Amino acid sequence: MTRKAALYALLTAGALAMTFPFVWMISTALKSEAEALLGGLELFPERLMWSNFVVMFQEAPQFATYFYNSFVVAFAVTASVIVTSMFAGYTFARLDFPGRGLLFSLVLATMMVPFEVTLIPNFMLINALHWKDTYAALIVPWCANAFSIFLMRQAFLGLPADFFDAAKVDGCGHLRFLVWIATPLVKPVAVTVGLFAFLGSYNSLMWPLVVTDRDEMRVVQVGLTLFSSDEGVRLHLLMCAATVVILPTLGLYFAAQRYFLESAISAGIKG
Amino acid sequence: MWFRVLIALGGLAALAALHRTLIQGLDRLLAALDALFDALRGKRWRDAPLALFLLSPAVAILGLFGMAPLFYAVYLSLFNSRRPDRPFIGLANYSRALTQPDFWKSLLVTVYYVVGTIPVTMMLSFLVATLLYRIARGRGFFRTVYFLPYITAVVAAATVWAALLHPQDGPVNALLVWLGFQPKSWLLESRGALWVFSGGWIPADIGPSLALFCIMLFEIWHSSGFMIVIFLAGLTVIPRDLEEAARIDGAGWFQATRAVTLPILSPTIFFLLVVSTIKAFQAFNSFYAMTGNGRGPQNTTQNLTVYIYANFYEFGRIGYGCAVATLLAIGIVVMTAVQWRLAGRRVHYE
Amino acid sequence: MKIRTVVSAAVLAAGMGMLVPACGSGGGGGEFRPIDPNAALFWDRQTDENRELLESIIAEFNAERDGIPVKADYVGGYSEIFRKLVTSIQARTVPAMAVGYQSMTTVYAQAGAIVPLDPLIADPGLGLSEQELADFFPVVLETNRYPTLDDGMYSFPFCKSVLMLYFNKRVLAAAGIDAPPRTWDEFLTQCRQIKERTGKSAYAVAVDASTFDGMVFSMGGEVYANGESRFDSPESLAVLKLHETLGQEGLAYQILAHRYDDRSDFAQDKVAFFFRSSSHRTYTGMLIEPEAWGMAVIPQADPEHPKTVLYGPNINIFRTTPEQERVAWEFTKFFTSPEVTVRWALGTGYLPIRKSAAQDPRMQAFWEEWSYNKAPFDCLDFACSEPNVPGWQEVRELIENALAGVLTGVKTAEQAAAELKQGADAVLAESR
Repeated sequence: MTRKAALYALLTAGALAMTFPFVWMISTALKSEAEALLGGLELFPERLMWSNFVVMFQEAPQFATYFYNSFVVAFAVTASVIVTSMFAGYTFARLDFPGRGLLFSLVLATMMVPFEVTLIPNFMLINALHWKDTYAALIVPWCANAFSIFLMRQAFLGLPADFFDAAKVDGCGHLRFLVWIATPLVKPVAVTVGLFAFLGSYNSLMWPLVVTDRDEMRVVQVGLTLFSSDEGVRLHLLMCAATVVILPTLGLYFAAQRYFLESAISAGIKG
Repeated sequence: MWFRVLIALGGLAALAALHRTLIQGLDRLLAALDALFDALRGKRWRDAPLALFLLSPAVAILGLFGMAPLFYAVYLSLFNSRRPDRPFIGLANYSRALTQPDFWKSLLVTVYYVVGTIPVTMMLSFLVATLLYRIARGRGFFRTVYFLPYITAVVAAATVWAALLHPQDGPVNALLVWLGFQPKSWLLESRGALWVFSGGWIPADIGPSLALFCIMLFEIWHSSGFMIVIFLAGLTVIPRDLEEAARIDGAGWFQATRAVTLPILSPTIFFLLVVSTIKAFQAFNSFYAMTGNGRGPQNTTQNLTVYIYANFYEFGRIGYGCAVATLLAIGIVVMTAVQWRLAGRRVHYE
Repeated sequence: MKIRTVVSAAVLAAGMGMLVPACGSGGGGGEFRPIDPNAALFWDRQTDENRELLESIIAEFNAERDGIPVKADYVGGYSEIFRKLVTSIQARTVPAMAVGYQSMTTVYAQAGAIVPLDPLIADPGLGLSEQELADFFPVVLETNRYPTLDDGMYSFPFCKSVLMLYFNKRVLAAAGIDAPPRTWDEFLTQCRQIKERTGKSAYAVAVDASTFDGMVFSMGGEVYANGESRFDSPESLAVLKLHETLGQEGLAYQILAHRYDDRSDFAQDKVAFFFRSSSHRTYTGMLIEPEAWGMAVIPQADPEHPKTVLYGPNINIFRTTPEQERVAWEFTKFFTSPEVTVRWALGTGYLPIRKSAAQDPRMQAFWEEWSYNKAPFDCLDFACSEPNVPGWQEVRELIENALAGVLTGVKTAEQAAAELKQGADAVLAESR
């Protein structure tokens, strides 16, 4: 019994350390400007300023547009990443063709290039395609990534080989097997891949900033920069915005949680 | 804007109404494609036609936006970008990198960071996951809580950490003083963490600076939630009876973990190792958020990515930055290959 | 996957990389084009009320004239603007104007993307008359001349401020001090007195290269002359020595410069002094009662001949089309006209950059509101600009390391000065 109590005590202590910044973010969002600017770690505002959220939207009315853009982009990226990485993952796991290993290594090699380096050439490409200030520029470059392909490949490798053999006997080809039989089985991994794709797209700042010039095409992370300048940060409004921006992520995490759990099971990740 | 949302919703409703017909149509299409690719299947090229079909979207995108930039970076690294006529200078940027003390210092920071964060994060996450695995009530709650840092905005998290570590009167220093120790400068301390904690016994220029040490702690805090969730999921598949059988045979917790849990989790561990090492080599955001410029005191938190970033976007040395980036990419490839060779073999598959 | 495949993939990748140059164009070359052919884009970083004011000034400008309009786009902070411009210049499409510091301008100018302003200023129709030019404080124009570009003017003043000493009257009173220091000797004496009487550190240091430059100027020195740095000068050494002493005696402590702990510690009476640009007045005023603090000229070697450093971004005009370039220049002229400069100063807290602003009744009313409101403006007469040479951005990093090094006791002042001189001269020589 005492052992169990100790276990919970330990976990709770850890949990406090993990949540503190999150709670602080929300409490700062509810402080007055002067109180927030004083800094420090005080968790309880003198007075709860719910109006900060209104002020934030008044001072940055573009936020509604930013949200809309972020959602359009993040969902399009998520859907595309799931499809491209399922296709590619299945191909690398189950199809037999010359040069498979080499191609897979090349795909993995793209993971090894830091983003900062690809920025300039990718921008030039977008510019040459006349895609600046379009959704295409925000979406297309992120529609496939090596990490997701890797994850999906592992998931398909994890499926017992006899599944496919049985299907083949029934006259089911690769595509029908992939869509009707394999997909439901790897759904948890696909959801995980989708969640990470969403997080990656939704949280990106640098790329949207570089490929968009018009305010109508900006995304929420750009919106967060509206509250800092060289002279100071409007901390209370910044934390308001950060809180609002995190909400969809949090919601998605809860929605995906069930699958997310199972996923790492089958992502139990076999090489 | 809301009008467009309505149209999208309408479209979804129409899809739902017609889904049966659509599914049938799709099935027929797939069957036809299957037949086509089956006919195209040859002895020499085997599944290549179908592979080409399935891979084309991913490969096109990765080729254009993932691979081509790498080639372009290699190309740019051969020029002096700071002259209007951009003269070709061969490998001069590379030889400059190899002779710059700053480059080697940044490499050292990167190495400290990788070595200092990855094993600790993995062990800690593994430990928490096994602890969580042993409790029935509240597991879901704790799992969510431990995942929170991963989705908290980095600005918010870094602001809190900086306040906690305030060099004058931060809570951490207050605690140290209360315990009878000297307060520390944390993120502003360029001397070694080992020097600070050993009371000056270990030389100040050995090991990561205290500032870098703080960033490592931050990163461990930030990314362990992600690993815990994956470990926990891995653990839940392990048949309980296997572990119990081991315990009945007289194995303690430690032995049971070593003999049963670790081998079954080894693919997960290996996967996390490879992916997080690559990520750690490219770490940038936490460095930037914690120190404000990424460099930290006396440049002791300037890792290779921060160094590349500064050369690109502060000093306008594009060609030189590309050369360093190419060297970094080569380093990552080598590192991954080594891991694959050393650890990949020990991974237990079924 | 086998190691052999990894290696062969890497070799293949490298091989293809070598092939690309054969078909690539070399990245750049050719004419610059405007991003928006129908508007003269102005990339800016103002937010909140400042942005609204800028928008309304632009609306007035557009209403007064025909032709393509000016349009302001918020592009994030300076680093985002610079990053976007570096990428845009590579792609050869640029905005008509952007705000930026001199170090950014030198990079743009090296790429040939900037319009030189001297011909525009001298133009009989579009330019500025002798009289108009004389109305600008000389330093705000000088700061936009670039010695390595034949002393040409490649940017125009936009938001200007000066380095000030911020002092907390409550802490000073507690230490028995009734006026802020006028000389550096007095500054050190006061710091010691504060430590002795109140037990507090006197000064929260946000390590910054411009602050260092300003201090060297006020000691009567220079940081750069004739193609090389002057960090071996007695004045530079004196500034480093001062910080060494402050650190050793616990009279000052460093803060993370990107957080504003100096301001909040100051407001909570934890320190008596900090040095920042005059544009921090607004935020500081939010934290502390107006009676409890003030701003003054930074301490000097010789208070009769004071010096301080001029801060703040400028406007760059980029090579687009002759029409856009002309509109951009006309807008720049409009923005710095006496009337607009006063409104901008009143709205944002930056300094009016023209002498005639002193006669403006609104400006005078503002100065009377609080006794220290005029102090920064008075500094414009003797503020100095920092070096505008390629490589200075890298030198700034070295300065900050030197300053932080002596303050925390990692280096001695002599050691830091020698290292700084050597490192800076190497960078400057390489960047020339």
